[in-house]
Amino acid sequence: MNWWLWAGIAVASCLIPCADMCLRGSPERRLVGLEMTSIIITLAMVIFTIAFERIPFIDLPLTLAIMSFGGALVFARFLEHHL
Amino acid sequence: MSASSIIEAVMLVMVAVSCWLGVLGMWRMREPTQALHYLSLPATVGAFALTAAVFLKNGSNQASWKTLLITFILLGINSVVTHASARAFRARELGHWRPREGDPIEFVEDSSETEQS
Repeated sequence: MNWWLWAGIAVASCLIPCADMCLRGSPERRLVGLEMTSIIITLAMVIFTIAFERIPFIDLPLTLAIMSFGGALVFARFLEHHL
Repeated sequence: MSASSIIEAVMLVMVAVSCWLGVLGMWRMREPTQALHYLSLPATVGAFALTAAVFLKNGSNQASWKTLLITFILLGINSVVTHASARAFRARELGHWRPREGDPIEFVEDSSETEQS
């Protein structure tokens, strides 16, 4: 175990409260939980990429960071009018 | 343990702490609009501390520059998505997002509108 693995586990465990936010409460709270989840997963993936020395995998969090932008905006739009 | 690995460890602790503070703050807030503020903690402090740690560990290579790119993307995205979400919450509640009389925020008249009317 090295520092990076411990940091990755600590950051990944933040997903537990995020799951609670996403699974319970009003649609607005769930959207906030979804947005926080994408940020946390992006950071955790970067940490695990470095921890396991798999440098080419850095493209995954880069893609997730960009894609989560569209996803959150679509949900916000739906929340505004249709949900 | 060299100085740079100590700083690296400190940065990683900063990443974990900022993520946990942001998540707990979001979790504890009663109003979704209040909870939105806590997205910025991991998206800014956490991301920049992580970038510093990656640069310390790997130096100037592909992973470091892509982590820096991820940080700037998170920085930009976070502000836009937070604004869009807050606007959606307001529009969902009031049917529109425009300011109303008696709102607790200062309403600045748009000068071009006043000249036309």
